[in-house]
Amino acid sequence: MRALLRDLDGLSRAGLACLALLVLVALGSVVHLGGDPDAIVGPRLQPPGPQWWLGTDNLGRSMLPRVMEGVGTTLLLSSVAVLVTAVVSAGFGILAGYRGGYVSELVLRLVEVLYSFPAVVLAILVAAVMGPGQTAALAAIVLVTIPLMTRLVRAAAAGVARRDYVTAAVISGARLSRVLGRHVLPNVSGTIAVQGTYALSVGISVEGGLSFLGFGVQPPQASLGVLIRQGGTYMIAAPWLVAGPCAVLVVAILAINVLGDGLRDRLEPRQPRSLT
Amino acid sequence: MRLALWWSGRALSAAATLLGVSVLIFAAVRMMPGGFAETILGPFATPEQKAELAARYGLDQPVFLQYGHWLAAVAGGDFGTSMISRQPVADELLARLPVTAELTAFSVAAALLLGVPLGVLTAVRARPRGGAAAGRLLSGLGVSVPEFVLGSLAVFLFSRYALGVPAGGYVPFGQDPAGNLASMVLPSAVLSVFALSATARTTRDAVLGVLVEPYVTAAVARGETPWFIVRHHILRNAAGPVVTLVATITAYLLGGALVVEYVFNLPGIGSYIVQAVGRRDYAVVQAGVLLAAAVFIVMNALVDLAVGALDPRLGVTGKGAA
Repeated sequence: MRALLRDLDGLSRAGLACLALLVLVALGSVVHLGGDPDAIVGPRLQPPGPQWWLGTDNLGRSMLPRVMEGVGTTLLLSSVAVLVTAVVSAGFGILAGYRGGYVSELVLRLVEVLYSFPAVVLAILVAAVMGPGQTAALAAIVLVTIPLMTRLVRAAAAGVARRDYVTAAVISGARLSRVLGRHVLPNVSGTIAVQGTYALSVGISVEGGLSFLGFGVQPPQASLGVLIRQGGTYMIAAPWLVAGPCAVLVVAILAINVLGDGLRDRLEPRQPRSLT
Repeated sequence: MRLALWWSGRALSAAATLLGVSVLIFAAVRMMPGGFAETILGPFATPEQKAELAARYGLDQPVFLQYGHWLAAVAGGDFGTSMISRQPVADELLARLPVTAELTAFSVAAALLLGVPLGVLTAVRARPRGGAAAGRLLSGLGVSVPEFVLGSLAVFLFSRYALGVPAGGYVPFGQDPAGNLASMVLPSAVLSVFALSATARTTRDAVLGVLVEPYVTAAVARGETPWFIVRHHILRNAAGPVVTLVATITAYLLGGALVVEYVFNLPGIGSYIVQAVGRRDYAVVQAGVLLAAAVFIVMNALVDLAVGALDPRLGVTGKGAA
């Protein structure tokens, strides 16, 4: 871990620091560090001031604890979704890459179907089927991020499967689960880590977009997308309602992307970055 | 012969994917909450009424038969009827196509006309002043700002300070050409930020990849001018990834400019789908999502053909563009 940190360049370390700060902020909101997000503390739509650092919203709630809660919701939702994606993609990707043949063909076909939907369209279809809410947002992030990660893990695993140490393990009588878990998985973990990082930024942006359209996290719970949607109504009179959550959202996505670039340079040199 | 075989294989694979997509969408729509009968008849319908309705619309048949009927209808251009407006969905979508197409055209044009030269320039010029980190941060910012953030920012700035361009709404081109173009400026600008940054990044990577080729070194050694080298040796060889990316962006925008159309209140296909999901107008959701995926799949297949034409080696070795 320390070696990894040393190898990251300045920009990526800054990204990591930003992300750590956001996680701390989210943890702080659990113990109401910035105040109670649901408490009405003052007049409506007040600009930022010493009592409410980010202003107050249309009900007179302080925006600071709301944004902190929003960061927590968004980060938690996206991380859980990406964990699910990582497990599913790693499982199918490694199996497909190692086995090749019709297994690989089948997995690639299924993934291709998911890949054919624009991200927001797929997310909205999920929301329409499951009904708006946190679960829909979670499922949407998983389905949007699975195709790319599965493809790349499969490609990496197909490369690893031809290596001598894998052949040696098979010859020495290792079971399939041991070959995959002990010899293939560790050698594709770099790809999983890098793609997981990018998937996290995609997840944050999908959650934001879905909640912004009104199909993701539902108020009164705060997420960054919900706050931006709610603030949009009062944008002309009270731009700070939108400015705070927007700034945090952009910083979060940018920090994660930069971190992902650094991780990629460190963990898998010469692999071009993909876009979606 | 070999090429024709490869092409027909590509077309078959696209058809298979499209079929998979249609199964997924059909299943998804059937799982949506609020049954068809309840939606049409209201909550107080008797079982007999429901049964009659189910018989009339074929809902009492086995699922795979229903799927077959639906697929046949869709193949014939019949996407069903909107439950809200009672109009054929195909007509409604067609009426909204010009808005979405115009938006897509402007954004893709910006990406091509600005993004490609920018990518080539930053790749050919050795190191931009200000350091590599600044460039990385800037292009990273372009692909990191979600559309709804940028859109909200634009709406705020342009509606608060009256900067001369409308921040929402749509005027048909036939009615008022100048007003139509003005109403397109902001949404296209917002959409093209991502398209432009992505195109510039991809072009830069592709050109950097070609620059190390021996034939470029040979051209430099022959004393050819940089501009000549770019035109004759680099552009076509670097075109593959850029063409793929631009086509992907085009397909995504045609089917999925949902957020921007919603933010700027444009009556395009995207905002129609958003509206339909909100109103539980499932026929529209089904058709819109299917179209978006179909456009993407067809575009993808076309891109493979185009890339194969640009670089004939790919077709002959039987390997499509990744």
